[in-house]
Amino acid sequence: MDRRQFLRRSGAALAVSGASGLLAACGASSPTPAASSSGQNRTPVTITVWDYYGSSTPVKPALAGFKNRYPWITVNYQGLDWDTISTKFTVAVSSGSAPDMATLDMTWIPTYASTGLLMDLSKVSGGMLNGKPIRQQYSGGGLNAMTYQGHYVTMLFDEDCYALYYRRDLFEKKGISVPTNWSEMRAAAKALAQDTNGDGKADKYLMEIDPDTFHYASYLFQNGGAILDPANSKAVFNSPQGVQALEMYKGFLDDGTGIYWGPGQGDRIAGLNSGTVAMFEDGPYYMGIMKDGAPNLAGKWAIATAPYSRKPGSYLGGTGLSIPANAAHADAAWTLIQYLLEPRNSVGVATYSGAAPGLSAALQSPRVQKPDPYFGGQDTWKVWLPTMASATHYPYVRQWNNIDRAIADGVSAALLGKKTPQQALDDAAAQVDGRLR
Amino acid sequence: MRQRRPVRLLLYAIAIVTSAIMIGPLYWMLATSFKPPGDVFASPPKWIPDPWTLANYHDVFTLLPFGRFFINSVIVTLSIVAVNILFDTAAAYAFAKLRFPGRDFLFFLLLITLMVPFQVNLIPLFRIMVALHHVSPYLGVNTYFGLIAPSAIQVFGIFLLRQYIRSIPDEILDSARVDGASEFKILRKIVFPLALPGIATLAIFTFLSAWNDFLWPLIVTQTDQMRTLPVGLALLARKQEINWGDTMAGTVITALPMIAVFLVLQRRFIEGLTSGAIR
Amino acid sequence: MVKAAARETTATAPRGPAAAPVMRRLRRRFRGSGSGYVLVLPAMLAAIAFLYVPMALSAYWSFTDFNGLLPPRWVGLANYRELAADPLFLQAVRNTAVFVLLAQGIGPVLGLASAALLNNKLRFRGLFRTAYFIPVMTSLVVVATIWKMLLNSNGLVNVIFGYLHLPTTSWLSNPSTALPSVIAASVWQGFGFETVIFLAAMQAIPREYYEAAMVDGANAWGRFRHVTLPGLRRTIIFVYVIGIIQASQVFDQVFVMTQGGPIESTNTVVNELINRFNSLQLGQASAIAYLLAVVLAFVSFVQIRVFERRD
Repeated sequence: MDRRQFLRRSGAALAVSGASGLLAACGASSPTPAASSSGQNRTPVTITVWDYYGSSTPVKPALAGFKNRYPWITVNYQGLDWDTISTKFTVAVSSGSAPDMATLDMTWIPTYASTGLLMDLSKVSGGMLNGKPIRQQYSGGGLNAMTYQGHYVTMLFDEDCYALYYRRDLFEKKGISVPTNWSEMRAAAKALAQDTNGDGKADKYLMEIDPDTFHYASYLFQNGGAILDPANSKAVFNSPQGVQALEMYKGFLDDGTGIYWGPGQGDRIAGLNSGTVAMFEDGPYYMGIMKDGAPNLAGKWAIATAPYSRKPGSYLGGTGLSIPANAAHADAAWTLIQYLLEPRNSVGVATYSGAAPGLSAALQSPRVQKPDPYFGGQDTWKVWLPTMASATHYPYVRQWNNIDRAIADGVSAALLGKKTPQQALDDAAAQVDGRLR
Repeated sequence: MRQRRPVRLLLYAIAIVTSAIMIGPLYWMLATSFKPPGDVFASPPKWIPDPWTLANYHDVFTLLPFGRFFINSVIVTLSIVAVNILFDTAAAYAFAKLRFPGRDFLFFLLLITLMVPFQVNLIPLFRIMVALHHVSPYLGVNTYFGLIAPSAIQVFGIFLLRQYIRSIPDEILDSARVDGASEFKILRKIVFPLALPGIATLAIFTFLSAWNDFLWPLIVTQTDQMRTLPVGLALLARKQEINWGDTMAGTVITALPMIAVFLVLQRRFIEGLTSGAIR
Repeated sequence: MVKAAARETTATAPRGPAAAPVMRRLRRRFRGSGSGYVLVLPAMLAAIAFLYVPMALSAYWSFTDFNGLLPPRWVGLANYRELAADPLFLQAVRNTAVFVLLAQGIGPVLGLASAALLNNKLRFRGLFRTAYFIPVMTSLVVVATIWKMLLNSNGLVNVIFGYLHLPTTSWLSNPSTALPSVIAASVWQGFGFETVIFLAAMQAIPREYYEAAMVDGANAWGRFRHVTLPGLRRTIIFVYVIGIIQASQVFDQVFVMTQGGPIESTNTVVNELINRFNSLQLGQASAIAYLLAVVLAFVSFVQIRVFERRD
């Protein structure tokens, strides 16, 4: 946009912040200073922030610096967990008790955006992030993920995609080479698995099998399949490629080299520490969790590109920072979002939680891309970067949450042997078609 | 009827084993709350925590807001009990002993609400609370008012107290009236004391249902500031990666007060329960 | 206030000697009218605000498409029709029915058996009764949390079962065992309630009946069948009506232990209601609530009629 448009936009933004400042000042003791043309309204304001990162959050450590620079903004920080936010967010927004900013899983964005829960961020940003256009600071895939019906509804904070975590020390000991395709992965699992209690079934060094859409979709994409047709009008994951992917995944359980990791299984960290799990697929954020929860496993694990059948593939998700449509203090919330997305703060996503920063500048920072002693000196970003480049995000449809549920149920049913993979996927596809109508 | 020795021994054995199955899990909850993380699923299981630690309790009061949850539970429960004692007894007395046009119709209106399950009222109550919150920040969603108000009266309590108060002889009340006492004075000075056992039973059962209430507090509270113990505990127990030691400490804090109240007031509990049921 | 009312009535009441009995009648009729209304006012206001108004709103919303952000839009019977064809909802209904059948099949029987056991004048009977009843005092959330830990793959249940050479599995991850596990936890929590009630009712049965039965040569089982059970008839009806109503509303345990999974095998009607509430489908959630209310009313009505007739 040209300079005139920019000034008009920022003038409008300032006018909005001035108005909201007036409203906020109704309760404050000092009268509202007039909105200056060069700076922000400095009326004291408190914003509520919901964060699901947990103990390794990159948000909380940034708040001290934020307070220094913006002393009139007090942050009421609420650490909730992923599950709590996913159940509570919608109701909170619809009942007028929304936070001002929340970390949201990127896979929830379509459903929330289509229900009108998320604010169109161009209202508070004017298309600019920290002085430069948003467009220039993210990859094409990232921008895509942040957009719903032409508006930015979230700011990508970290990106999530799946790669293979494996016990490198065991691979070396047993002379197993790192698998690059599905059959090699199945063979590696067979070589790894051990029966330590003599009951004829392997119980140690197994491949973790997760009955959810994240994992299944990754294999689906690797096999050249898709979840919905390009028009998002019907389910196509029950194609032969989809069934093959599920059969491959189930194959670990049939071989006796996999362990079905349902909710009753509990903590994966416990499984890693006890040696029950020697291979699993998950995202970069899990690196931080392993360093916290399994320090004595340092040096034993490594990360490799997920073995694929036809092409590298993974689900693409992550965390976005959003402002609810009816947030009370949207401008102050946007100030916080901008602060968190300054490249040096964004790097915190990697250094604190081990996740991959969504912001391009942060991702390419040398502070992020360096050898990781926990993973035996491997520069893990050499795996994550190409994986992200070849990852596919979920379809952006209003009913995504229900579709996810149907697919996950189908995958579970097949993995547990309740239905054949073809049957399970066909039934799930029928359900999904019903929802899309 | 006394049976033969071996039969009685068998009965005792069954009673002891079954009691152990009932108490066992509660003991396990208590023991686990003192175990360090590694010992929770120790194999073979450690019946006595060794080593034992207070770290879990420290966690739930520092890392997690269980202190706040506890205070909220206490405030909400005691308020609900107090309000119920006041309003339920007043209404029960009026329905039992006073005559006014429409009395029986109003009582019938109250009774039929017993047929309706709470879930029918859940969502509208929530939306009403949302609207009230716009009127005042002390009313509505995420406030003590929101937690207390819907339970302000227990229709079943009014019903039971009415039965109880009916048995108070009219002469006592009439003579007070002749002496010029107002109905309010009669309620305070005569009915309350005479109905005290019934009111005590009402108080105990209201305490029980208020302390353990889950669905409504889950819906109406939005922040940890206002959550009660059952809600806080449930959110803790749903996590993907659960710290069982901490969770059990939270469970103990949630369960212990109610168990303690029960053990102290056991007799009244049982009496209250059984007098109503055997009709 | 009584005096004021009396003065009012005298103003228009008949005078003279014939007035006295009528006066007395009127005074008795409207004894404490004003106070009566004042005393029931809080209860009636609360009932209107928190029971009647919500019931009406719920009924209205069940015929609308309402997401809480935009005004409700009338859709007639669409919600009900969609629910009738919705596999998720139907599965929830099935699961709830199984839960009610098993929980109410096993629970009261355990309560009855344990009451019969304790009725044998065992020493420490009070202690045993307390042991059965304490879980009833704990919140369902507490019970669910404890059992979630016990039923963990590495939990105490598997340890004990392994020791007894019984099958061990991941109880809450396996769709075949998840619902039975939730039922077991619920029965563990609840049957003590029935124990206490049945025990008290049993003790109210006159000894003469038992003595008469013994004279007739009945053994322990015969006495139970012909004296105890009939004597408990009303109590059994009471226990079942209350029990079925409560069991149909099962939610807390599911919320904590399984969240409706795995593969919707523990999804219940109220759990599905809350799911729709959370996804802002308030019209459908209201419809579910009303379906539940109607079914419960019908079931209670049938139960009471069937048992009353046999009397």
